[in-house]
Amino acid sequence: MTEWLVVLTASALALGTPLLFAALGELVSERAGVLNIGVEGLMLTGAFAGFLACWATGSPLVGMVAAAGAAMMLGALLALWVVGLDADQVVAGAALNILAVGVTGVAYRAVFGVTGAALTVPTFAPIALDGDAWWLAPLRQPAPVWVALALVPLVWLVLARTRLGLELRAVGEAPEAAASLGIRVAAVRVGALLAAALLAGIGGGYLSLAYSNTFVEGMSAGRGFIALAIVVFGRWRPLGILAGALLFGAASAAQFHLQAAGITIPYHLLLMLPYVLTLTVLAIATGTTAAPAALGRRRSECGPP
Amino acid sequence: MSRRLARLVAAVVVLGGVGACTRGGNDGGFKVALLNPGPISDAGWNAAAYEGLLAIRDQLGAEISQVETRTPPEFEQAYRDYARRGFRLVIGHGFEFQDAAAKVAPEFPGTVFLTTSGNTVRPNVAPIVFRLEEATFVLGELAARMAPDGAACAVGGMEIPSVKSTFIAFQAGAAHAKPGYPVTTSYLGTWDDVGAARTATLALADRGCRFVLQNADAAGPGVFQAAGERGIYAFGSNRAQHEVAPNAVLASAVIDIPAAFVAVAREVKDHTFTSRIIEEHMADGAIAVVFNPALETKIPADVRNAIRETEAAIRAGELKVPTAEF
Repeated sequence: MTEWLVVLTASALALGTPLLFAALGELVSERAGVLNIGVEGLMLTGAFAGFLACWATGSPLVGMVAAAGAAMMLGALLALWVVGLDADQVVAGAALNILAVGVTGVAYRAVFGVTGAALTVPTFAPIALDGDAWWLAPLRQPAPVWVALALVPLVWLVLARTRLGLELRAVGEAPEAAASLGIRVAAVRVGALLAAALLAGIGGGYLSLAYSNTFVEGMSAGRGFIALAIVVFGRWRPLGILAGALLFGAASAAQFHLQAAGITIPYHLLLMLPYVLTLTVLAIATGTTAAPAALGRRRSECGPP
Repeated sequence: MSRRLARLVAAVVVLGGVGACTRGGNDGGFKVALLNPGPISDAGWNAAAYEGLLAIRDQLGAEISQVETRTPPEFEQAYRDYARRGFRLVIGHGFEFQDAAAKVAPEFPGTVFLTTSGNTVRPNVAPIVFRLEEATFVLGELAARMAPDGAACAVGGMEIPSVKSTFIAFQAGAAHAKPGYPVTTSYLGTWDDVGAARTATLALADRGCRFVLQNADAAGPGVFQAAGERGIYAFGSNRAQHEVAPNAVLASAVIDIPAAFVAVAREVKDHTFTSRIIEEHMADGAIAVVFNPALETKIPADVRNAIRETEAAIRAGELKVPTAEF
């Protein structure tokens, strides 16, 4: 039993990490009032750019920088649409997802050949920990896992205890009032979107540079949308998001451990597990509203600033 | 829909029109189209089909077109779209395409709707059934003979009959060598989540699996990665996949999709095509077990001889390989 728990914890951490990165980024953007539906596309872009840079240089670190950079470029495009041009946030985000699927697919085939080479790249190695105590096993994770965990208190600190965080939250709750106090609403939102893109890109880079060692078209496999759900699940708070990411990671790991154990119930039921869990918790947790008041609203719907 | 739209957007934005690949004019020539359920860059099932399409172009001078379709409404729309544009042969690459083919076919008697796998036959609808089971049976026997006290496992994308069938035969092949040999299967519910494939395989390896067969298309590399990490052997499917993972893939169950595609396309081109279930067997050379030359020496001679005998028995029709209900 202990052994099983250890393995499950390790898998939960490993599978929860990309979700944690993406969801923390989404939290920052949503607290500034911008609903970024494009997380999935940003993750996929990060996964591809990271893979490409790592393949060219042999360094997963360079790959991760490229993943973040490429996602931020796409994030800047989204910022131009929703902040600069005041486009509908949902439509713009959805467009970004479609764009990313196409761009990564076309670029992958242009570089690696149409029928695919399934090349592998060097990855972030798990941190070496000496000793054979059972509880050490789940801690042997690649560096990005620890970075993601460290980001949780950091994001909380910035949002809750700094002037920047206060301004960001003000922009998300009451942009008109914030503007009247001299806060540059557009600049804060662009910054928040870029931060969200950076983290989503790293989450994607984790997929191709730490968890897997290759790129496959569509490999983000819906994780960006799960990250959106985790933000709601976590009630727009970093700790809640950590819990959500780990829970979802554990549930998705559990489905494969149960299948491997030869559990004979239909596999579809096991695959449903993480989604059912999320729905259940969402249904229970919808008490008081915790969403930023101006979330998803366009400037033109907010009245004159 | 979103995938096709994505290709279109990307083609326009990035490379100015590389995504879709219709060649040549609209009328006259022999035109063949391929619908794939996943990316043709998967170095497996979909890649092999695309190579088949290219072979039809090169050997029969056909104009070709290819599109990625994900959902039944997309299958139907793509079939109808190509038929309307005068394509004489439209190939839906997988079991899941047969309902759409049967639905659209009556409207377009001049077009042949082919599905790879399936059991639906109409005047202009026919399946090519690749009996890949014959090869996975041999792989099952190979696993059980090489590790008589171990266990084997299989990782699939979705539980569709053509995938399930390869796993049933894999299990039967193992049992053929050693009755009651443990074989566990795991399904991902997706064809492109490499991370999920890795997790599933690690979990299976930690439960004692020594040989893992993958049939998960684009997610397959995740199986190979995990097999490499745990030091177990992997079996590829559809294409000779030791090129993908030279250190992990011991052998692959391979289909010669290009040869089969060209043979059917030639019939359609020459107006000699008659609708039927087209079966491709090991005996025809369409199905084979291909070993990784770098790891082949790890197989003991007596094991090698035993599986050669099994292959011969399957070719001769003396050994019937079990399949799933289609």
